[in-house]
Amino acid sequence: MSQERPRWIGHACSYTPTALIHAAGFTPYRVLPMGDSPDRAGQLLHDNLCPHVKRILDRAMDDDLPDLYGMVFMNCCDAMRRLSDAWRAAKPDHRVALVDLPVLTEESAVAFFAGQLKKLSETLSEWKGQSFNQEDASQSIAKFDEIAGLLDELSNRVHNGTLEGGSFRLQGLFNRAATEPIDLTVELLRTVVKEPELPAAEHNGVPVYLFGNVLPDPEAFALFQSCGVHIAGDSVCTGLRAFSRVGGDDSEQVFVRMARGLLDQPRCARTFDPFHPGKIAEDVLAEARACNAKGVIAYTMKFCDPYMSRLPAIRTVLREAGLPLLLLEGDCAMRSMGQQRTRIEAFVEMLR
Amino acid sequence: MMLQYFERLASRLEAKIQKDSDKPNARRKFALEIAKLGARLYSGEHRVAWCGVAAPFDMLSAMNITSCFVEFVGAMLAATGAVGTFLEESEHGGFAADTCGYHRAVIGAAIKGVMPVPDVMIATTCPCTGGLAAMENLARTFNKELFVLDVPSSDTPESVKYLADQYKDMFRFISSRTGESLDEDQLRAAMEKSNRARELMVEVYRLAQSVPSPANGQSLANFGIVMALFLGTDAGIEIAQAYRDEFDEMIRSGQSGVPEERVRLLWLQNRIQFKNPLIKMLEQEYQASIVIDELNDITWEAIDPADPFTGIAKRTITVPFNGEVNRRLNHVRGLAQAYKVDGAVNPCHWGCRQGTGARGLIQAGLKELGIPVVNLEVDCVDTRNFAEGQLRTRLEAFMEMLRTSPSAQTA
Repeated sequence: MSQERPRWIGHACSYTPTALIHAAGFTPYRVLPMGDSPDRAGQLLHDNLCPHVKRILDRAMDDDLPDLYGMVFMNCCDAMRRLSDAWRAAKPDHRVALVDLPVLTEESAVAFFAGQLKKLSETLSEWKGQSFNQEDASQSIAKFDEIAGLLDELSNRVHNGTLEGGSFRLQGLFNRAATEPIDLTVELLRTVVKEPELPAAEHNGVPVYLFGNVLPDPEAFALFQSCGVHIAGDSVCTGLRAFSRVGGDDSEQVFVRMARGLLDQPRCARTFDPFHPGKIAEDVLAEARACNAKGVIAYTMKFCDPYMSRLPAIRTVLREAGLPLLLLEGDCAMRSMGQQRTRIEAFVEMLR
Repeated sequence: MMLQYFERLASRLEAKIQKDSDKPNARRKFALEIAKLGARLYSGEHRVAWCGVAAPFDMLSAMNITSCFVEFVGAMLAATGAVGTFLEESEHGGFAADTCGYHRAVIGAAIKGVMPVPDVMIATTCPCTGGLAAMENLARTFNKELFVLDVPSSDTPESVKYLADQYKDMFRFISSRTGESLDEDQLRAAMEKSNRARELMVEVYRLAQSVPSPANGQSLANFGIVMALFLGTDAGIEIAQAYRDEFDEMIRSGQSGVPEERVRLLWLQNRIQFKNPLIKMLEQEYQASIVIDELNDITWEAIDPADPFTGIAKRTITVPFNGEVNRRLNHVRGLAQAYKVDGAVNPCHWGCRQGTGARGLIQAGLKELGIPVVNLEVDCVDTRNFAEGQLRTRLEAFMEMLRTSPSAQTA
């Protein structure tokens, strides 16, 4: 294992090509919207932007970050694009890259995105002062795919109720995997996976499917658990969705392989199939049914257009299917989550 | 309801234009074409495409498709004063009041059956995520497939080719859904008309820069963004020519848009679409003239009719509100200098992440040029949240500040 001090590259979106950042000799660091930094983002960003980006900017303005070598932003939504603008203003000495991210997953979009990744690789090489080759990239993909596999395994255990510590602990592992050097992460996750599983019958929560965007605080999952929620399946930006396998093999050009892997990963609401408008609603229903959920919890950031705009269709489809939905609108602060306790408890009561 | 509204509006405007046939009637001709477009959209007799703001309307015209961005309907509903019902409809349907009012209004209209079912739907990822989501919702409501134009942010040969290829796919999509085919001669003719309108609009904007300006708070309201709908048509040329002639005549006769113009203002982003007294107050009480709107500019080169896809892709990618805010800021700063403005008004449309989201950065960028900005908390469509008193007070304070500034005193 290298003893060299990590050279961190910050990022803020689950579509970030972390394996590429690693292949370039950097350590990807997900800037999570956590901590106690004072609210200062309003100096640069309007109040109507999502708390995720504002919280991240608060951290930057408060210097509550490791010594970042640069930031890679994905052009995934208006708010994230505005964050990249504000970051340049707040941190003029930082290197910043903005990568276009197609909303579609068809072949032409994959090809275009592959070009964007190639351009990013050139930028990263310039920042680092040295280039990297396809073999380096393949090795990084293999490492990140291993992490994805290990987290997938642990996630399944949470869903089955067989991981000690449950979803609270798993979220802590997600956060460490997103912010710590990759070799440490692999070592840690391998150790956890080797732990004996709990007997499946020990959890007695109500099975619920959780979906939404940014929910990194393990305390939120502790709250769910304490309210009697058992997360039987989930899809959030700060969970397994941030660790999807790139897959593929060396027969494909590495940037195309990464582009395909990232675009094919389980979708955030901002990526969609135009030939099936609003299909996210059917997808949520299918995933909820697949994990035998008795209800669905949607956790979305206030002012998040991609999710807010799709919720009415999701609500309709779930209602028609007889699956109750609880919508929790968040602001990246646990105090607001705590205020939801009564609603969550009532929801669980109704589902029992 | 909408068809009758547009038909009545068109007939009233035609009568007025005929009555004053010796005048250029620029604004009336512009409004007349808007009314005619509205009537075509709602007549049920034309192929209709509901689109995103950055769709290539001149290309669609060449294919005999009556096309329009959906925000147009939101703006029209606001202008008629009927928007509240439709906003409430969408909110009852679960659409959060924190989303863009234009989109909530149009979704409400679709739910209430006040939007004609289109033949095709062409969404664009530019300018905003909310607009794309609204298009997806409308497509679901209409049970239509969506064609998405994914507009990259950077102006590179790869990006231009990516978008140009999508236009070709778009034509195939439209052909397969409507049976309309693309006639290359018609496309070429449309591009030539776009270029002619472009030349005239460049002239119009150049004339509007005069001190005092022939423009006022009403004359060029919504002009740039709506003119995109008339590119590629004779109507687009006629409107631009009428404005050019009108401004030219005003300058030659020493007439200004606002009598005794004292303060020159830049209006950022969209106008407030419903009737309100703010512009009148600025003009009458402060002799303040909105000489330029941010969206009123030509930022593209003439399209090569032999290669329209590349030219239009470049035109779309380089619009100032696409991509990083620096592109927009540089554009706004350029306008502020070219039009010699004293200050800027930014109606921070609630629910607009891409535009309003950057207000702190825009304000700081203009401040570097010594241009103060007043930010107004407003929803440009939702009349229910219009705090007239507060906005009036803010504008009055801003105008007092500008009137005491050295540049205004010498105006």
